[in-house]
Amino acid sequence: MTDKPLSGLRVIERANGVAAAQAGRLMCQMGAEVVMAEPSTGSPLREEHPLLPDGQSALFIYLSLGKRSVVCDPATPDFRRNMHKLLAGADILIDDTPVAERAGLGLDEATIAGDHPHIVHLSVLPFGAFGPKAHWKGDEINLIHAGGEGFLLPNGLTADLFPDRPPLKIAGHFAEMQGGTTAAMAALAALWTGQGQFVDASVQDANVAVGAFAVQRFGDGSVEHRLTRSFKFGGVIECADGYVELLTLENRQWQGLIELLGAKDWARDPHLKDEVGRSARGAEINRRIRDWARTRKVEEMVARAQTLGVPMARYNAPEQVLSGTQETARGIFATIDTPDGPVKVQALPFRFGPDPLPVSDTLPGIGADQSILSCPAGRRATA
Amino acid sequence: MKPLADLRIADFTVHAAGPFCTHMLSQMGAEVIKIETALRPDIFRKPHAVYGRHGPATFDQVSSNKLSVRLNLKHADGVVLAKKLVSIADVAAESFRAGVMSRLGLGYDVLRAVKRDIVMVSVSSSGQDGPESHFAGYAPLFGAWGGLGYLSGHADGPPVEMRHVMDHSVGMHAALATLAALNRRRRTGKGCHVDVAAREVASSLVGDFLTAASGGVAVGRMGNDDMARAPHGVFPTADEDRWLSVSVSSDAEWQRLAAIMEQPNLAEDPRFATQADRHANRRELDGPVSQWTAERNGEAAAETLQAAGIAAHISWAASDIVLDPHMRARGAILDVAETDGKRRAAVGRPARFAGDDSPGITRGTPALGGDEDYVYGELLGLGRARIDALVESGAIY
Repeated sequence: MTDKPLSGLRVIERANGVAAAQAGRLMCQMGAEVVMAEPSTGSPLREEHPLLPDGQSALFIYLSLGKRSVVCDPATPDFRRNMHKLLAGADILIDDTPVAERAGLGLDEATIAGDHPHIVHLSVLPFGAFGPKAHWKGDEINLIHAGGEGFLLPNGLTADLFPDRPPLKIAGHFAEMQGGTTAAMAALAALWTGQGQFVDASVQDANVAVGAFAVQRFGDGSVEHRLTRSFKFGGVIECADGYVELLTLENRQWQGLIELLGAKDWARDPHLKDEVGRSARGAEINRRIRDWARTRKVEEMVARAQTLGVPMARYNAPEQVLSGTQETARGIFATIDTPDGPVKVQALPFRFGPDPLPVSDTLPGIGADQSILSCPAGRRATA
Repeated sequence: MKPLADLRIADFTVHAAGPFCTHMLSQMGAEVIKIETALRPDIFRKPHAVYGRHGPATFDQVSSNKLSVRLNLKHADGVVLAKKLVSIADVAAESFRAGVMSRLGLGYDVLRAVKRDIVMVSVSSSGQDGPESHFAGYAPLFGAWGGLGYLSGHADGPPVEMRHVMDHSVGMHAALATLAALNRRRRTGKGCHVDVAAREVASSLVGDFLTAASGGVAVGRMGNDDMARAPHGVFPTADEDRWLSVSVSSDAEWQRLAAIMEQPNLAEDPRFATQADRHANRRELDGPVSQWTAERNGEAAAETLQAAGIAAHISWAASDIVLDPHMRARGAILDVAETDGKRRAAVGRPARFAGDDSPGITRGTPALGGDEDYVYGELLGLGRARIDALVESGAIY
C-alpha cells in the first residue's frame, strides 16, 4: 500500500529499549519500512515481559509487528560494513546505543553525518546524547521520576488510602512510550527540512514536556505534590462492582451531578454556587459521593451520568477495553496469529481517514530479512 | 532555521491536549495562529478555582509561542474569516467534541473546498465516530476508558487517576500524526482528516498489556514492581519525602549493588542469585535496599549507583527540574518572558536538532487578539476599515 503517510521511507532501527522501539513502531505502522538491525541473539526486547503463555513477549509483538529483521551484530567484524550498507539506502536511523559505545561502533554523530549526510540520525536515550547526564542509565521507573510525574502520583483515592507509601509509577512503559512518540515526532520534523541531521531525543525531556503543567505551576509559585494536587471532589470512586472516574469542572456538570445524586440540598446551598465554595467543601462532597456510589452498579451509574452531562467513565479492565463498544465500532484491535494462538493488537491511536491503518500481521524472526543486506543500496526516498 | 519554519497552522484547539499538539509544532518553528473568542475564553484566560487561580493566567505553556486572534465562530462573517485563515494554512487543528466543527460550518469537507490539500487534525476524547464519540472527557476519563488507569495502582488498592500528562501525551501523538500527514501531502499532494482519539492513546500506552490479556495472561495492578527486575522500586532517603528510584536489570548489576551496600551475604545468597530468584523473593530485598538508601543523601546515592552502571534517579519535583543544569544545557527547560516582562522557567523544545539549536520558545502567552494587525492585516490583506467593521459587527470578538 503506497498511500500510508510514511510509505517509501526506510528506517534502520537499533533498539535495546522501549523508547527507540516505540519510535520505530509508530513509523512502521504509518507505512515506513523499518528494519531492525539486531545482534545475533536478537534484541533484548524479544525477552521482555509481559510474556504470552509459551514465552513469547507480548511487548515485543506490540512494538515489532510489521518490522523487518537483519542480523547486524556489533560483536562481529562486519558490523560496520553492514551498517554502512543498511544506512546507504535509508532515510532515518533510530539508535539507542549508549553514548560511550557509539564512536567505537562508527555510530557517533560525526561519523554518521560524514558518511550518510542525508540521514536523519535519531538518537533516543534516557537522558539524551548531550548534557551532564547523557551517560546516565534509566529504566522506566527512573524516567517517570526524572520527568516529574512520578513524584506527583498517586492522587485522590489511592493517596487517601495509602498516604505513607512512596510515589507510584504509571502502569507499563508510560515514560518510555512518551520518549518514543516524541522522538518519532522530532525525526519527522527533521525529515520535513529535506536535509539529514542529528536529532537528540531524550526520554526525560519528553516526560518533562508532557508534564509541563508542573513547571507552569512552579512559575505560578507552587510546587505540586501528590497529596495536595488531587481534585477536591470526584476522582476515582468505588462502586459495588468496580470503579468509575468522575470529574466535574463546569457549572452545568455540577448541576448534573446534583441531579444524579438527588442532592437537592446542594442545589439550595448558596455556598456551593461556585467552584470556590465547592472546592472548600470538597471533602464533605466527596464523602457523600463515595457513600452514594458504594452500593451502585457501574453500568447504571455511567449511563445515567452521561445522560445528565456528568463526565463519568468506567475504569475499564483490559478485557473491557478489548471488547469495548466504542473500540469495537472503531475497529481498533486487529487479531494476529502467533505461535501462542491468536492475540489482539491495537492499531495506532490516530487515523488519517475514516478507518484505522491496518496492523501488519508479520512478526519477523531474528535475521528473517537478511537478504536486505545483499540488495543494492541507493533507494533512499528523500535523497 | 527551525525545522517547521515554513508551516502555518490555524489553531482552533482549546484546553490542554489539542493546544499542546500545536504548541510542540510551534516550538519546532511552525507559525501557529490561535483562534479565540471572548465569548468563550480558553481555560487559561479565566479563573481556575481548582488551582486557586482567581484571574487569568499570566503564562500558559501550551498557548505560549502562538499568535492570537479573536474570531466569533457563531457569527456568519466569523466563519467566512475562519475559512480565509484556513486557506492560507497548511494545518487546521481543533479539539471540540466530534461534530462541532461541522455544525459550525467548518467540517473537513468545507475546509478541503477552501484549501484543497489542508491537513485537518481533530483531537477528541473518543474519536470522530462510534456510539460514544459524543462523550465529554478529561484526562482522568481518557485513562479510565483506555485501561491505563485500571492497570496503574497498588496491587491491594484502587485504580489511579491520570492527569495532565495524559492530555499532553494525546497532544504529542497528534503532533506526530500531523507531521506524518504533511509528509504524505508532500509526496502525494493530498491532505487528509487526522482523527486522534484520546482514549485510544491511553490504551495504546499499555498496548503490550492488552495484547497479553487477549492471549489469556492475567494482568493487573502491581504498584512499583517490574515483571522481571528486582530490586526495583522507589526507596526512602535520609531526607523527608525525598525518594530514590532504583532498577537492577542483571546479575552483574546486582552483584555491584550488593557490594556498594556492603552486603556480601546478600551477594552470595542463593535466593537472589538470578534475576528470576530475585524477582520471586523481591519483597525480601526491599528491606536491605531501603535500609541503605534511608541512610543516604538521595543525590549522592544516585551518583554512586550510576557510577556503578545501575539505573537510579531521584523522584523529582518541578523545583528540581527547573534548576537542573542538564535540562538547561539541553534547552529542555528555558526562561521565557511573560506578558508583563517577568521571566519564568518553561518547557522548551522536545528534542535537540543539529540543524538549528535555537530556543524553542521566543514569546510568552499572547494577549487575546494581540496579533490581529499581522494576521488579519498582513496575512489576509484586510484593510483597517474592514477589520474595524468586523469588530463592530461582532465577527471579530
